[in-house]
Amino acid sequence: MANVEHTTETPVVTPVNMEETHAEVVEHGATADAGLAASLGINAQLFVFQLINFTVVAVILWFLVLKPLTKTLAERKKMIDESIDNAKEIETNLALSEKEYQDKLKEAKGEANKVIEHAHTEAKQLGEDMKVKAKTEVEGIVAQAKKSIQSEKVQMMEEIRQESATLIVTALEKILNEKMDGNIDKKIIEDSLKNLKK
Amino acid sequence: MAAEIHIPTLAPEAIFHIGNLNITNTMINAWIAIVIFLILGIFIKRSISLKPGKLQNASEFFLDTLLGYFDQVTGDRKKTIRFLPIVGAIFFFILLSNWLGLLPGTGSITVGHNMLLRPANTDLNLTLAMALVSVIGSHLYAFATIGVFTHLGKFVQIKNVFKSFKKGPIAVLTAIIEFGVGLIEIVSEVAKVISLSLRLFGNIFAGEVLISVISALVAALVPTPFMLLEVLVGVIQAAVFAMLTLVYMTVATSAPHGDEEEAHH
Repeated sequence: MANVEHTTETPVVTPVNMEETHAEVVEHGATADAGLAASLGINAQLFVFQLINFTVVAVILWFLVLKPLTKTLAERKKMIDESIDNAKEIETNLALSEKEYQDKLKEAKGEANKVIEHAHTEAKQLGEDMKVKAKTEVEGIVAQAKKSIQSEKVQMMEEIRQESATLIVTALEKILNEKMDGNIDKKIIEDSLKNLKK
Repeated sequence: MAAEIHIPTLAPEAIFHIGNLNITNTMINAWIAIVIFLILGIFIKRSISLKPGKLQNASEFFLDTLLGYFDQVTGDRKKTIRFLPIVGAIFFFILLSNWLGLLPGTGSITVGHNMLLRPANTDLNLTLAMALVSVIGSHLYAFATIGVFTHLGKFVQIKNVFKSFKKGPIAVLTAIIEFGVGLIEIVSEVAKVISLSLRLFGNIFAGEVLISVISALVAALVPTPFMLLEVLVGVIQAAVFAMLTLVYMTVATSAPHGDEEEAHH
Protein backbone atom coordinates (compact mmCIF):
# COMPACT_ATOMS: atom_id res chain seq x y z
CA MET A 1 0.00 0.00 0.00
CA ALA A 2 1.27 3.43 -0.87
CA ASN A 3 2.29 5.65 1.98
CA VAL A 4 0.98 9.16 2.64
CA GLU A 5 3.81 10.88 0.84
CA HIS A 6 2.71 9.17 -2.34
CA THR A 7 -0.95 9.91 -1.79
CA THR A 8 -0.39 13.64 -1.85
CA GLU A 9 0.65 13.42 -5.46
CA THR A 10 -2.35 13.90 -7.72
CA PRO A 11 -2.03 11.97 -10.99
CA VAL A 12 -1.79 14.24 -13.97
CA VAL A 13 -3.80 13.34 -17.04
CA THR A 14 -1.86 14.26 -20.14
CA PRO A 15 -2.66 13.67 -23.82
CA VAL A 16 0.03 11.02 -23.77
CA ASN A 17 -1.80 9.14 -21.04
CA MET A 18 -5.03 9.42 -22.98
CA GLU A 19 -3.44 7.83 -25.99
CA GLU A 20 -2.79 4.59 -24.08
CA THR A 21 -4.24 1.63 -25.88
CA HIS A 22 -6.98 -0.51 -24.39
CA ALA A 23 -4.56 -3.38 -23.88
CA GLU A 24 -2.23 -1.18 -21.89
CA VAL A 25 -5.13 -0.05 -19.68
CA VAL A 26 -6.11 -3.64 -18.94
CA GLU A 27 -2.51 -4.56 -18.27
CA HIS A 28 -2.07 -1.75 -15.82
CA GLY A 29 -5.64 -1.98 -14.41
CA ALA A 30 -4.61 -2.96 -10.90
CA THR A 31 -1.99 -0.26 -10.73
CA ALA A 32 -4.50 2.31 -11.97
CA ASP A 33 -7.01 1.30 -9.27
CA ALA A 34 -4.33 1.60 -6.65
CA GLY A 35 -3.34 4.94 -8.14
CA LEU A 36 -6.95 6.19 -8.01
CA ALA A 37 -7.32 5.09 -4.38
CA ALA A 38 -3.98 6.72 -3.58
CA SER A 39 -4.95 9.94 -5.36
CA LEU A 40 -8.12 10.07 -3.24
CA GLY A 41 -5.98 9.60 -0.16
CA ILE A 42 -7.07 6.06 0.64
CA ASN A 43 -4.38 4.50 2.75
CA ALA A 44 -4.61 1.36 4.87
CA GLN A 45 -2.70 2.84 7.78
CA LEU A 46 -4.73 6.07 7.79
CA PHE A 47 -7.94 4.11 7.34
CA VAL A 48 -7.19 2.01 10.43
CA PHE A 49 -6.25 5.15 12.37
CA GLN A 50 -9.47 6.91 11.40
CA LEU A 51 -11.48 3.79 12.20
CA ILE A 52 -9.88 3.76 15.66
CA ASN A 53 -10.63 7.51 16.00
CA PHE A 54 -14.26 6.94 15.14
CA THR A 55 -14.48 3.96 17.51
CA VAL A 56 -13.02 6.08 20.32
CA VAL A 57 -15.57 8.83 19.56
CA ALA A 58 -18.40 6.29 19.53
CA VAL A 59 -17.27 4.79 22.86
CA ILE A 60 -16.85 8.22 24.52
CA LEU A 61 -20.16 9.49 23.17
CA TRP A 62 -22.08 6.38 24.14
CA PHE A 63 -20.67 5.81 27.63
CA LEU A 64 -20.21 9.42 28.72
CA VAL A 65 -22.99 11.27 26.90
CA LEU A 66 -25.67 9.30 25.11
CA LYS A 67 -26.16 6.39 27.51
CA PRO A 68 -26.35 8.49 30.71
CA LEU A 69 -28.63 11.02 29.02
CA THR A 70 -31.00 8.45 27.51
CA LYS A 71 -31.04 6.60 30.84
CA THR A 72 -31.89 9.81 32.69
CA LEU A 73 -34.55 10.70 30.12
CA ALA A 74 -36.09 7.24 30.49
CA GLU A 75 -35.93 7.43 34.30
CA ARG A 76 -37.53 10.87 34.29
CA LYS A 77 -40.22 9.67 31.90
CA LYS A 78 -40.87 6.68 34.15
CA MET A 79 -41.01 8.95 37.19
CA ILE A 80 -43.41 11.35 35.46
CA ASP A 81 -45.61 8.45 34.33
CA GLU A 82 -45.63 7.05 37.86
CA SER A 83 -46.38 10.50 39.29
CA ILE A 84 -49.28 10.91 36.88
CA ASP A 85 -50.58 7.45 37.79
CA ASN A 86 -50.19 8.25 41.49
CA ALA A 87 -51.91 11.58 41.03
CA LYS A 88 -54.79 9.83 39.26
CA GLU A 89 -54.97 7.25 42.04
CA ILE A 90 -54.90 9.98 44.68
CA GLU A 91 -57.60 11.86 42.78
CA THR A 92 -59.73 8.71 42.63
CA ASN A 93 -59.15 8.03 46.33
CA LEU A 94 -59.95 11.64 47.13
CA ALA A 95 -63.19 11.41 45.16
CA LEU A 96 -64.04 8.17 46.98
CA SER A 97 -63.18 9.72 50.35
CA GLU A 98 -65.23 12.78 49.47
CA LYS A 99 -68.17 10.55 48.55
CA GLU A 100 -67.68 8.51 51.72
CA TYR A 101 -67.46 11.72 53.75
CA GLN A 102 -70.61 13.06 52.14
CA ASP A 103 -72.40 9.74 52.80
CA LYS A 104 -71.23 9.73 56.41
CA LEU A 105 -72.23 13.36 56.78
CA LYS A 106 -75.64 12.61 55.32
CA GLU A 107 -75.99 9.62 57.60
CA ALA A 108 -74.90 11.68 60.62
CA LYS A 109 -77.33 14.43 59.68
CA GLY A 110 -80.11 11.82 59.41
CA GLU A 111 -79.18 10.39 62.78
CA ALA A 112 -78.94 13.85 64.32
CA ASN A 113 -82.37 14.69 62.94
CA LYS A 114 -83.71 11.46 64.36
CA VAL A 115 -82.15 12.23 67.76
CA ILE A 116 -83.53 15.77 67.69
CA GLU A 117 -86.95 14.49 66.68
CA HIS A 118 -86.82 11.88 69.41
CA ALA A 119 -85.74 14.52 71.90
CA HIS A 120 -88.62 16.71 70.78
CA THR A 121 -91.06 13.85 71.19
CA GLU A 122 -89.62 12.92 74.56
CA ALA A 123 -89.65 16.55 75.72
CA LYS A 124 -93.23 16.91 74.59
CA GLN A 125 -94.19 13.69 76.31
CA LEU A 126 -92.33 14.73 79.42
CA GLY A 127 -94.05 18.11 79.32
CA GLU A 128 -97.40 16.45 78.98
CA ASP A 129 -96.59 14.05 81.81
CA MET A 130 -95.38 16.85 84.01
CA LYS A 131 -98.44 18.89 83.17
CA VAL A 132 -100.69 15.96 84.11
CA LYS A 133 -98.67 15.32 87.23
CA ALA A 134 -98.76 18.99 88.20
CA LYS A 135 -102.50 19.08 87.56
CA THR A 136 -102.97 15.98 89.66
CA GLU A 137 -100.80 17.42 92.39
CA VAL A 138 -102.64 20.71 92.22
CA GLU A 139 -105.93 18.92 92.34
CA GLY A 140 -104.65 16.87 95.29
CA ILE A 141 -103.49 20.02 97.02
CA VAL A 142 -106.82 21.72 96.34
CA ALA A 143 -108.72 18.66 97.54
CA GLN A 144 -106.48 18.49 100.58
CA ALA A 145 -107.04 22.20 101.15
CA LYS A 146 -110.77 21.78 100.74
CA LYS A 147 -110.73 18.82 103.05
CA SER A 148 -108.68 20.75 105.55
CA ILE A 149 -110.99 23.74 105.30
CA GLN A 150 -113.98 21.46 105.72
CA SER A 151 -112.35 19.82 108.68
CA GLU A 152 -111.49 23.15 110.19
CA LYS A 153 -115.00 24.33 109.51
CA VAL A 154 -116.44 21.30 111.26
CA GLN A 155 -114.04 21.76 114.10
CA MET A 156 -114.92 25.45 114.27
CA MET A 157 -118.61 24.68 114.28
CA GLU A 158 -118.02 22.20 117.04
CA GLU A 159 -116.05 24.76 118.93
CA ILE A 160 -118.78 27.34 118.30
CA ARG A 161 -121.37 24.95 119.56
CA GLN A 162 -119.35 24.20 122.60
CA GLU A 163 -118.69 27.91 123.08
CA SER A 164 -122.35 28.64 122.60
CA ALA A 165 -123.31 25.98 125.07
CA THR A 166 -120.77 27.28 127.53
CA LEU A 167 -122.05 30.78 126.90
CA ILE A 168 -125.57 29.63 127.35
CA VAL A 169 -124.65 27.78 130.47
CA THR A 170 -122.78 30.80 131.72
CA ALA A 171 -125.63 33.03 130.75
CA LEU A 172 -128.05 30.67 132.41
CA GLU A 173 -125.97 30.62 135.45
CA LYS A 174 -125.94 34.40 135.52
CA ILE A 175 -129.65 34.52 134.94
CA LEU A 176 -130.31 31.96 137.47
CA ASN A 177 -128.33 33.91 139.98
CA GLU A 178 -130.44 37.01 139.25
CA LYS A 179 -134.25 37.47 139.79
CA MET A 180 -135.81 35.77 137.03
CA ASP A 181 -139.10 36.75 135.42
CA GLY A 182 -140.81 35.91 132.22
CA ASN A 183 -139.59 38.92 130.36
CA ILE A 184 -136.04 38.59 131.33
CA ASP A 185 -136.11 34.93 130.54
CA LYS A 186 -137.50 35.69 127.21
CA LYS A 187 -134.94 38.34 126.54
CA ILE A 188 -132.10 36.13 127.52
CA ILE A 189 -133.26 33.40 125.25
CA GLU A 190 -133.59 35.84 122.38
CA ASP A 191 -130.16 37.29 122.99
CA SER A 192 -128.73 33.87 123.12
CA LEU A 193 -130.40 32.96 119.90
CA LYS A 194 -129.14 36.13 118.34
CA ASN A 195 -125.67 35.29 119.34
CA LEU A 196 -126.07 31.86 117.94
CA LYS A 197 -127.18 33.27 114.63
CA LYS A 198 -124.15 35.49 114.52
CA MET B 1 -3.01 36.51 -7.46
CA ALA B 2 -3.84 33.00 -8.70
CA ALA B 3 -0.45 31.74 -7.53
CA GLU B 4 -1.42 32.62 -3.93
CA ILE B 5 -4.50 30.42 -3.99
CA HIS B 6 -3.79 27.19 -2.17
CA ILE B 7 -6.12 24.45 -3.32
CA PRO B 8 -6.28 21.62 -0.76
CA THR B 9 -5.20 18.24 -2.04
CA LEU B 10 -7.59 15.27 -2.10
CA ALA B 11 -5.36 13.32 0.24
CA PRO B 12 -4.63 14.51 3.77
CA GLU B 13 -1.10 15.76 4.40
CA ALA B 14 1.22 14.12 6.90
CA ILE B 15 2.24 16.71 9.51
CA PHE B 16 4.64 14.59 11.53
CA HIS B 17 5.62 10.98 12.07
CA ILE B 18 5.63 8.76 15.14
CA GLY B 19 7.98 5.97 14.12
CA ASN B 20 6.53 4.66 10.89
CA LEU B 21 3.12 6.12 11.61
CA ASN B 22 2.03 9.19 9.68
CA ILE B 23 -0.01 11.73 11.60
CA THR B 24 -2.15 13.75 9.20
CA ASN B 25 -3.84 17.13 9.61
CA THR B 26 -7.32 15.55 9.39
CA MET B 27 -6.37 13.19 12.19
CA ILE B 28 -5.41 16.13 14.41
CA ASN B 29 -8.85 17.60 13.73
CA ALA B 30 -10.46 14.29 14.68
CA TRP B 31 -8.41 14.21 17.90
CA ILE B 32 -9.57 17.72 18.77
CA ALA B 33 -13.15 16.49 18.33
CA ILE B 34 -12.36 13.49 20.56
CA VAL B 35 -10.93 15.76 23.27
CA ILE B 36 -14.00 18.03 23.11
CA PHE B 37 -16.33 15.03 23.37
CA LEU B 38 -14.26 13.65 26.26
CA ILE B 39 -14.38 16.92 28.22
CA LEU B 40 -18.08 17.39 27.49
CA GLY B 41 -18.75 13.75 28.35
CA ILE B 42 -16.91 13.97 31.69
CA PHE B 43 -18.84 17.13 32.62
CA ILE B 44 -22.18 15.57 31.65
CA LYS B 45 -21.43 12.24 33.35
CA ARG B 46 -20.37 13.99 36.57
CA SER B 47 -23.32 16.35 36.79
CA ILE B 48 -26.03 14.05 35.54
CA SER B 49 -29.14 13.92 37.72
CA LEU B 50 -32.92 13.74 37.43
CA LYS B 51 -33.03 17.46 38.16
CA PRO B 52 -30.88 18.71 35.28
CA GLY B 53 -28.42 21.61 35.27
CA LYS B 54 -27.89 23.98 32.35
CA LEU B 55 -25.46 21.74 30.45
CA GLN B 56 -27.56 18.63 30.95
CA ASN B 57 -30.69 20.54 30.05
CA ALA B 58 -29.19 21.75 26.77
CA SER B 59 -27.79 18.29 25.98
CA GLU B 60 -31.12 16.65 26.74
CA PHE B 61 -32.89 19.18 24.52
CA PHE B 62 -30.62 18.38 21.54
CA LEU B 63 -30.76 14.64 22.17
CA ASP B 64 -34.51 14.58 22.61
CA THR B 65 -35.04 16.60 19.43
CA LEU B 66 -32.71 14.25 17.56
CA LEU B 67 -34.43 11.17 18.99
CA GLY B 68 -37.75 12.58 17.78
CA TYR B 69 -36.40 12.69 14.20
CA PHE B 70 -34.85 9.24 14.54
CA ASP B 71 -38.16 7.87 15.82
CA GLN B 72 -39.82 9.01 12.59
CA VAL B 73 -37.49 6.66 10.71
CA THR B 74 -37.49 3.67 13.05
CA GLY B 75 -41.09 4.14 14.24
CA ASP B 76 -40.11 2.92 17.68
CA ARG B 77 -38.12 4.59 20.50
CA LYS B 78 -36.66 1.23 21.60
CA LYS B 79 -35.21 0.64 18.13
CA THR B 80 -33.86 4.19 18.07
CA ILE B 81 -32.08 3.67 21.39
CA ARG B 82 -30.72 0.36 20.11
CA PHE B 83 -29.19 2.02 17.03
CA LEU B 84 -28.12 5.14 18.92
CA PRO B 85 -24.55 4.05 19.82
CA ILE B 86 -23.59 4.06 16.12
CA VAL B 87 -26.04 6.57 14.67
CA GLY B 88 -25.58 9.09 17.49
CA ALA B 89 -21.80 8.83 17.27
CA ILE B 90 -21.94 9.32 13.49
CA PHE B 91 -24.20 12.36 13.73
CA PHE B 92 -22.37 14.19 16.51
CA PHE B 93 -18.88 13.35 15.22
CA ILE B 94 -19.62 14.48 11.67
CA LEU B 95 -21.35 17.62 12.96
CA LEU B 96 -18.54 18.63 15.30
CA SER B 97 -15.82 17.76 12.77
CA ASN B 98 -17.53 19.81 10.09
CA TRP B 99 -17.98 22.80 12.38
CA LEU B 100 -14.44 22.53 13.71
CA GLY B 101 -13.28 22.88 10.11
CA LEU B 102 -14.84 26.34 9.98
CA LEU B 103 -12.93 27.65 13.00
CA PRO B 104 -10.18 30.21 12.38
CA GLY B 105 -6.83 28.48 12.05
CA THR B 106 -8.14 25.59 10.01
CA GLY B 107 -6.39 25.86 6.68
CA SER B 108 -4.50 29.00 7.64
CA ILE B 109 -1.96 27.66 10.17
CA THR B 110 0.70 25.81 8.27
CA VAL B 111 3.53 23.47 9.19
CA GLY B 112 6.08 23.70 6.41
CA HIS B 113 3.98 23.73 3.26
CA ASN B 114 1.11 21.77 4.79
CA MET B 115 -1.95 22.93 6.70
CA LEU B 116 -1.87 22.00 10.40
CA LEU B 117 -5.65 21.54 10.58
CA ARG B 118 -8.10 20.29 7.98
CA PRO B 119 -11.75 19.30 8.43
CA ALA B 120 -11.69 15.62 9.42
CA ASN B 121 -14.27 14.69 6.81
CA THR B 122 -12.06 15.86 3.94
CA ASP B 123 -10.22 12.61 4.61
CA LEU B 124 -11.81 9.80 2.61
CA ASN B 125 -10.29 7.29 5.04
CA LEU B 126 -12.51 8.63 7.82
CA THR B 127 -15.69 8.83 5.75
CA LEU B 128 -15.01 5.35 4.39
CA ALA B 129 -14.42 4.02 7.91
CA MET B 130 -17.73 5.51 9.09
CA ALA B 131 -19.57 4.21 6.01
CA LEU B 132 -18.20 0.72 6.61
CA VAL B 133 -19.19 0.89 10.28
CA SER B 134 -22.65 2.04 9.16
CA VAL B 135 -23.23 -0.73 6.61
CA ILE B 136 -21.47 -3.54 8.49
CA GLY B 137 -23.24 -2.40 11.67
CA SER B 138 -26.61 -2.64 9.94
CA HIS B 139 -25.85 -6.25 8.93
CA LEU B 140 -24.69 -7.14 12.45
CA TYR B 141 -27.88 -5.68 13.90
CA ALA B 142 -29.83 -7.68 11.30
CA PHE B 143 -28.04 -10.92 12.26
CA ALA B 144 -28.86 -10.28 15.92
CA THR B 145 -32.49 -9.32 15.23
CA ILE B 146 -33.83 -11.57 12.48
CA GLY B 147 -31.16 -14.26 12.43
CA VAL B 148 -28.13 -14.89 10.23
CA PHE B 149 -29.81 -17.16 7.68
CA THR B 150 -32.95 -15.07 7.36
CA HIS B 151 -30.87 -11.99 6.68
CA LEU B 152 -28.54 -13.73 4.25
CA GLY B 153 -31.66 -15.13 2.57
CA LYS B 154 -32.55 -11.58 1.52
CA PHE B 155 -29.48 -11.56 -0.74
CA VAL B 156 -29.27 -15.19 -1.83
CA GLN B 157 -32.88 -16.09 -2.48
CA ILE B 158 -32.24 -19.67 -3.58
CA LYS B 159 -34.93 -21.05 -1.24
CA ASN B 160 -37.68 -19.38 -3.28
CA VAL B 161 -36.30 -20.88 -6.50
CA PHE B 162 -36.67 -24.41 -5.11
CA LYS B 163 -40.10 -23.67 -3.72
CA SER B 164 -41.28 -22.18 -7.03
CA PHE B 165 -40.85 -25.49 -8.93
CA LYS B 166 -44.01 -26.75 -7.27
CA LYS B 167 -45.99 -23.63 -8.19
CA GLY B 168 -45.54 -23.47 -11.94
CA PRO B 169 -43.48 -21.68 -14.61
CA ILE B 170 -44.53 -18.11 -13.71
CA ALA B 171 -43.50 -18.67 -10.11
CA VAL B 172 -40.16 -20.07 -11.33
CA LEU B 173 -39.62 -16.98 -13.46
CA THR B 174 -40.50 -14.70 -10.53
CA ALA B 175 -38.15 -16.64 -8.24
CA ILE B 176 -35.31 -16.38 -10.74
CA ILE B 177 -35.89 -12.62 -11.04
CA GLU B 178 -35.94 -12.34 -7.22
CA PHE B 179 -32.70 -14.33 -7.09
CA GLY B 180 -31.15 -11.86 -9.52
CA VAL B 181 -32.49 -8.91 -7.51
CA GLY B 182 -30.92 -10.47 -4.41
CA LEU B 183 -27.55 -10.56 -6.13
CA ILE B 184 -27.98 -6.94 -7.22
CA GLU B 185 -28.71 -6.12 -3.58
CA ILE B 186 -25.21 -7.35 -2.73
CA VAL B 187 -23.83 -4.81 -5.21
CA SER B 188 -26.07 -2.15 -3.67
CA GLU B 189 -24.51 -2.84 -0.27
CA VAL B 190 -21.12 -1.95 -1.74
CA ALA B 191 -22.71 1.06 -3.41
CA LYS B 192 -24.03 2.17 -0.01
CA VAL B 193 -20.50 2.31 1.36
CA ILE B 194 -19.19 4.18 -1.67
CA SER B 195 -22.09 6.65 -1.83
CA LEU B 196 -22.04 7.37 1.92
CA SER B 197 -18.30 7.95 2.04
CA LEU B 198 -17.99 9.91 -1.21
CA ARG B 199 -21.06 12.10 -0.52
CA LEU B 200 -19.73 13.32 2.80
CA PHE B 201 -16.16 13.60 1.57
CA GLY B 202 -17.23 15.43 -1.61
CA ASN B 203 -19.45 17.93 0.17
CA ILE B 204 -16.97 18.83 2.87
CA PHE B 205 -14.00 18.86 0.51
CA ALA B 206 -15.93 21.08 -1.91
CA GLY B 207 -16.78 23.43 0.94
CA GLU B 208 -13.14 23.56 1.98
CA VAL B 209 -12.01 24.33 -1.55
CA LEU B 210 -14.74 26.95 -1.96
CA ILE B 211 -13.80 28.75 1.26
CA SER B 212 -10.08 28.49 0.45
CA VAL B 213 -10.60 30.06 -2.97
CA ILE B 214 -12.99 32.77 -1.76
CA SER B 215 -10.73 33.60 1.20
CA ALA B 216 -7.74 33.83 -1.12
CA LEU B 217 -9.62 36.19 -3.46
CA VAL B 218 -11.22 38.45 -0.83
CA ALA B 219 -10.10 37.85 2.72
CA ALA B 220 -12.72 39.83 4.66
CA LEU B 221 -16.53 39.61 4.79
CA VAL B 222 -17.04 37.91 1.41
CA PRO B 223 -16.28 34.40 2.74
CA THR B 224 -18.78 34.90 5.62
CA PRO B 225 -21.94 33.89 3.70
CA PHE B 226 -20.11 30.84 2.37
CA MET B 227 -19.01 29.93 5.88
CA LEU B 228 -22.61 30.26 7.09
CA LEU B 229 -23.58 28.02 4.18
CA GLU B 230 -20.94 25.53 5.33
CA VAL B 231 -22.43 25.60 8.85
CA LEU B 232 -25.69 24.52 7.26
CA VAL B 233 -23.93 21.96 5.04
CA GLY B 234 -22.26 20.56 8.17
CA VAL B 235 -25.62 19.92 9.82
CA ILE B 236 -27.24 18.61 6.65
CA GLN B 237 -24.42 16.19 5.86
CA ALA B 238 -24.37 14.92 9.46
CA ALA B 239 -28.14 14.45 9.34
CA VAL B 240 -28.04 12.76 5.91
CA PHE B 241 -25.30 10.31 6.94
CA ALA B 242 -27.01 9.53 10.27
CA MET B 243 -30.49 9.21 8.74
CA LEU B 244 -29.26 6.95 5.93
CA THR B 245 -27.47 4.76 8.48
CA LEU B 246 -30.66 4.63 10.48
CA VAL B 247 -32.66 3.68 7.36
CA TYR B 248 -30.16 0.94 6.49
CA MET B 249 -30.37 -0.43 10.03
CA THR B 250 -34.17 -0.23 10.16
CA VAL B 251 -34.55 -1.94 6.78
CA ALA B 252 -31.92 -4.57 7.59
CA THR B 253 -33.55 -5.47 10.92
CA SER B 254 -37.04 -5.82 9.43
CA ALA B 255 -38.15 -9.31 8.46
CA PRO B 256 -38.29 -10.13 4.72
CA HIS B 257 -41.72 -9.73 3.05
CA GLY B 258 -42.19 -13.45 2.53
CA ASP B 259 -41.60 -14.15 6.23
CA GLU B 260 -44.02 -11.40 7.27
CA GLU B 261 -46.74 -12.80 5.02
CA GLU B 262 -46.08 -16.31 6.34
CA ALA B 263 -46.22 -15.01 9.89
CA HIS B 264 -49.58 -13.31 9.18
CA HIS B 265 -50.99 -16.54 7.74
